[in-house]
Amino acid sequence: MPAPVPPPWWRPFRTLDGAAVTHVDLAPDAAREAAALEWLDGDERERWEQYPYAGPRRQFLLCRAALRALLGEELGCANGDLAFPTAEHGKPSATVRGEPAPVSFNVSHSGGHGLIALAPEGRLGIDVEELAPRRNLGLLMDGVLSEAEKGELAALRGDERLRLRRFFRLWTMKEAVLKAHGRGLPLDATTFEIPPGMRHGATRGRLRLPQEPGVTWQLDELGTERFAAALARDVPCESR
Amino acid sequence: MATTEERLRKIVDDNLEIEGRATGTPLNTERNFADAGVPSPDIVAFWKLVNEEFGVDISAEQFAELLTPSDLIAHLDAA
Repeated sequence: MPAPVPPPWWRPFRTLDGAAVTHVDLAPDAAREAAALEWLDGDERERWEQYPYAGPRRQFLLCRAALRALLGEELGCANGDLAFPTAEHGKPSATVRGEPAPVSFNVSHSGGHGLIALAPEGRLGIDVEELAPRRNLGLLMDGVLSEAEKGELAALRGDERLRLRRFFRLWTMKEAVLKAHGRGLPLDATTFEIPPGMRHGATRGRLRLPQEPGVTWQLDELGTERFAAALARDVPCESR
Repeated sequence: MATTEERLRKIVDDNLEIEGRATGTPLNTERNFADAGVPSPDIVAFWKLVNEEFGVDISAEQFAELLTPSDLIAHLDAA
């Protein structure tokens, strides 16, 4: 008798101006992982087999199956019609029966949490980081924050939990913008700053990257008690 | 004296937090970290630690172009 199919391990998380964000539960689960493997095509199974570490292997498997389910529903196509050629710098795109899919998407995962952002068009980037203690927080701050941003976090010394939360709030906002831009970390993230309003609690803001000054990016902060997260989208010209 | 590869592996063993990687596991020198699913905070930490350990100043962009540990070893050995 075949094993029962587990219920979906993904659920709607947020909707922002036409962009739908889905949360994917990435906790180890043998039944889900077996079901997820059935969704993958040959190339993806080969990639899955080649991941050397258990965590990233499971995260890729559970997120990719969820992405296939969401795109199939959004585009009204069969799972077998979908493929994911990898663009330069690793940002994936989707095709349906070999033609570019009329949808934008981006995926991020960290620990037990995945987020998938889908929008009808435009460039978007999403990032999630589980709020787990890091032994190299100082190094990470040096690696991605501007001097002003580092100064603000230095003032929180003595409250490591708050410092970790504030740091990953900034990190996810920066990485979301860089992913929307098309590169992601480790492109130099010290060369731009998160808008001051967002550094001090606002959940929406806009910024430009020195690497592409003609484009304005809208940032939304999406964090919870368990993870920091952010979504970045390019702002259409008429809205600037 | 430790080889460049051994020094890199020690950085990974002592500092990176990759679920499912056992300490002492040899580095796959031909596979880049991003393709191996190494989380981006670990890649950034590794970049900063390599600069500290080897006394070099590889930029973030330059580091991203050194695709595999093998490329990085060649770069460090030539420095």
